[in-house]
Amino acid sequence: MSTKRSEVDDARGAGGAAARQSDGPEKMPKTEMRESNWTPEQRAEYLHRRRGRNFLLLGALAGFCLLIYAIALVKLHEYGQLW
Amino acid sequence: MSESTVPRDLGGSTAADWFSLLKPRVMSLVVFTGAIGLIVAPTHLNPVLSFTAILCIALAAGASGAINMWYDADIDAVMHRTSSRPIPAGRITAQDALGYGIVLSCVSVLLMALATNVVAAAVLALSILYYVFIYTMWLKRSTPQNIVIGGAAGAFPPVIGWAAATGHISALPILLFTIVFFWTPPHFWSLALFASGDYERAGVPMLPVVKGARHTRVAVMVYSLLLVPVAVSPYWLGLCGRTYGASALILSLVFCYYCWGVLTDKQDAQGLSLTNNAPARAAFKYSILYLFILFGACAVDRFV
Repeated sequence: MSTKRSEVDDARGAGGAAARQSDGPEKMPKTEMRESNWTPEQRAEYLHRRRGRNFLLLGALAGFCLLIYAIALVKLHEYGQLW
Repeated sequence: MSESTVPRDLGGSTAADWFSLLKPRVMSLVVFTGAIGLIVAPTHLNPVLSFTAILCIALAAGASGAINMWYDADIDAVMHRTSSRPIPAGRITAQDALGYGIVLSCVSVLLMALATNVVAAAVLALSILYYVFIYTMWLKRSTPQNIVIGGAAGAFPPVIGWAAATGHISALPILLFTIVFFWTPPHFWSLALFASGDYERAGVPMLPVVKGARHTRVAVMVYSLLLVPVAVSPYWLGLCGRTYGASALILSLVFCYYCWGVLTDKQDAQGLSLTNNAPARAAFKYSILYLFILFGACAVDRFV
């Protein structure tokens, strides 16, 4: 059970850490928080949302890298220096 | 599937929730006024750097909004207008929103310094700090003049845009700042007139809550009258041409007309509207249009 709980906590991230603190070490997680109790629809929805967030983050990071690259090109080309 | 079926601790937020933390509607006006500051500047800036400058202004405005939502989560939960925001709705934790806001603030300022210059980055940082510490943490909950003094935070973007292009600040961006500064009170107090119940419930000392609706109507009218000479001043001082001058005069007089409607709205003995605040709603809508057209005219004037 402790292994399962640790997996659930990993999935929760920071929010899970806070919940774990308030629950106390001996308490079981609330029923609705247990991943094993999720319906297939809930799990699919969770994965769908996580995928959406991950793609957003990927897009933001890729865009950021491209922007820095473009700024470097413009700066070096037009001004001969980056800073 | 409804949002409540996925517990928030297990990651119930969507990408749209994170985007909505940036207050995209507020951001659009900020981006627009910042872009106008960039366009009317006499110096040409490379399109890539211009885009980056506007992106930084947008990021900074969004970051300020996220930090504001972190600090005001208790107020947002009580107010009907804001209760469905990601934090009070439980889809994003307040701590996550704070971290998100701080990271975006730092990225926007550093990117602005890298892409343009230190002056623009410094004013951008000042605008974030002003909005977070002066408006959100200090003024908003302590004085009915919160949006008058705090309105300066929303007036920075044209100055930042100008500074990004030129590396300095001169008379025209300061006048554009002043226009937004004087525009803010009638804009927000019109909103507060028809949302005062929300503010009262949340304990936010907006002018209609503290001084009453009648006093607010007078204040809206006074600020709209003050806005007329301020809006026309770039033309009087020779910084903008006739296109802008005529637009500013006509738009400002129409705004005064709308505010006159707010002042003379059918009221009861306490000054509360008997028309469901229809004039205040109309003035609020027009105020947004006013700023868009006025700043648009300023940009058009540059090329005419």
